Amino acid sequence: MVDARQTLELLYLLVKKELKVRYKNKFLGYVWALANPFAFAFVYWIAFKFIMRLEIENYSLYLITGMFPWVWLSASMVAGTRSFVANASLIKKAPLPRAILPLGNVVQEMVHFAFALPVIIAFLWFAGEIRPSAPWIWQVPLLLALQLAFVYPLALGLALANVYVRDIEYLVGIGLSLMFFATPMVYPITMVPEAYRRYFELNPLHGLMQSWRSVFLQSTLDFNHMAYTAACAAVTGVIAWLLYRKLARRVGELV
Amino acid sequence: MTHAVLCEDLWKTYQRHRPLGVKTLLLGADTPRDTRFAREWALAEVGFQVPRGRSFGVIGANGSGKTTLLSILLGTVQEDRGRVNLNGRVASLLELGAGFHGDLTGRENVFLYGSILGMRLAEIRRRFENIAEFSELEGAIEQPLRTYSAGMIARLGFSTIIHSPADILLIDEVLAVGDASFQDKCHRALREFRARSGTLVIVSHNLKEVTEVCDEGICLDLGRVVDTGPMTGVAARYQERVAATDPAKVKGGAHGQR
Repeated sequence: MVDARQTLELLYLLVKKELKVRYKNKFLGYVWALANPFAFAFVYWIAFKFIMRLEIENYSLYLITGMFPWVWLSASMVAGTRSFVANASLIKKAPLPRAILPLGNVVQEMVHFAFALPVIIAFLWFAGEIRPSAPWIWQVPLLLALQLAFVYPLALGLALANVYVRDIEYLVGIGLSLMFFATPMVYPITMVPEAYRRYFELNPLHGLMQSWRSVFLQSTLDFNHMAYTAACAAVTGVIAWLLYRKLARRVGELV
Repeated sequence: MTHAVLCEDLWKTYQRHRPLGVKTLLLGADTPRDTRFAREWALAEVGFQVPRGRSFGVIGANGSGKTTLLSILLGTVQEDRGRVNLNGRVASLLELGAGFHGDLTGRENVFLYGSILGMRLAEIRRRFENIAEFSELEGAIEQPLRTYSAGMIARLGFSTIIHSPADILLIDEVLAVGDASFQDKCHRALREFRARSGTLVIVSHNLKEVTEVCDEGICLDLGRVVDTGPMTGVAARYQERVAATDPAKVKGGAHGQR
């Protein structure tokens, strides 16, 4: 007896709740949401460009175009992993479709990212003289959908696992820190010694982040990257679905 | 008349293990098992039927399986064996305000909570005026929930749930909502709910209240049904048993917390 429309409405209300709580003070809330990725990018810019004096072309643009999708990904993985444990009272006391909770986290962070798009575009324009281009109109939504499809099954699977093994949420934090450098986010993959590069390229996050960069910087999409990430998303999707079918029934008594 | 709630030969066991942690993985579970509540079955052979429009009480000591039973009826906990069948939409008052958020206004919380209860936005919108009026919150409904007193939150929760289009209401120990006049109002609303052939399943330690509200009921002890029949009789015999084992409890505990 699943009412799809009702479920979508619940998702909408859950996301709206989180946004409202986050943007309590409308203007400052927005600034805070932007501050995090900008601060990250600034720190790495200082460290690599100014202190270590690496010669990377358009380094600030490289950082910014990757950092915002990364923050969406990492924030929703962290919150999504905790979503069942953090909403224990809902899980125990209301018969809502449980898979909606991590989805709410991922969608909420996606909305933050979408809100930040004008700022990213302005930054590209002023700092890199890259004008907004027409292909973005279909490229950006396509990548939004791809990243949502990739992140949600991961978050769902991790949320389930975290109910059974509580320390998963800490491992996720560590894993994300490793992936941040392995993807790579702060240096181009061309700096990786050639012998190891293909191992780095196995990481589906690499293709995803590289796609964001090529859209913003060149208005092009590498369909090989996208296809690989999509295939990985399909595999994790199937795994998460099987896990959910097998494990979700006991979540109510374990959280 | 068809049944609204049917339980047949219900069995449930909770596994002994706690959720695993890295510590347990590395060091092994060296803590001695807590055997105070150890028993094989949280629920065993539980069976009963509630006809449509009736009110059914579940009583018993702490840890006798009452909340487990309601959770299984609600579907948040899965039974191991047996059959559960509910005819109609279910809403639960298992915990007033689970899903409420302090930063949202009363109005926003009604919409979110209503949606969690399975209502569509259009349904909530249609009933919102009634919900707000019933809760007696007046202008406070537009204020953030964190400014509410506990009684106000409970009133808002009860108002939302009683206006949800449920056919079956599961209530766990939450009838003591608000002040005396609001409690009367709640009881009136529950009577009206039953008059519309709604079905109630109530878990409570307040024997006086349960006998007032419920027609029939069961008494659970260590997960088994030890008594069944008209509520007055079940409650009276439960009280006698408690008195027989511990005379002090009759004055203090078992008589309810009103």
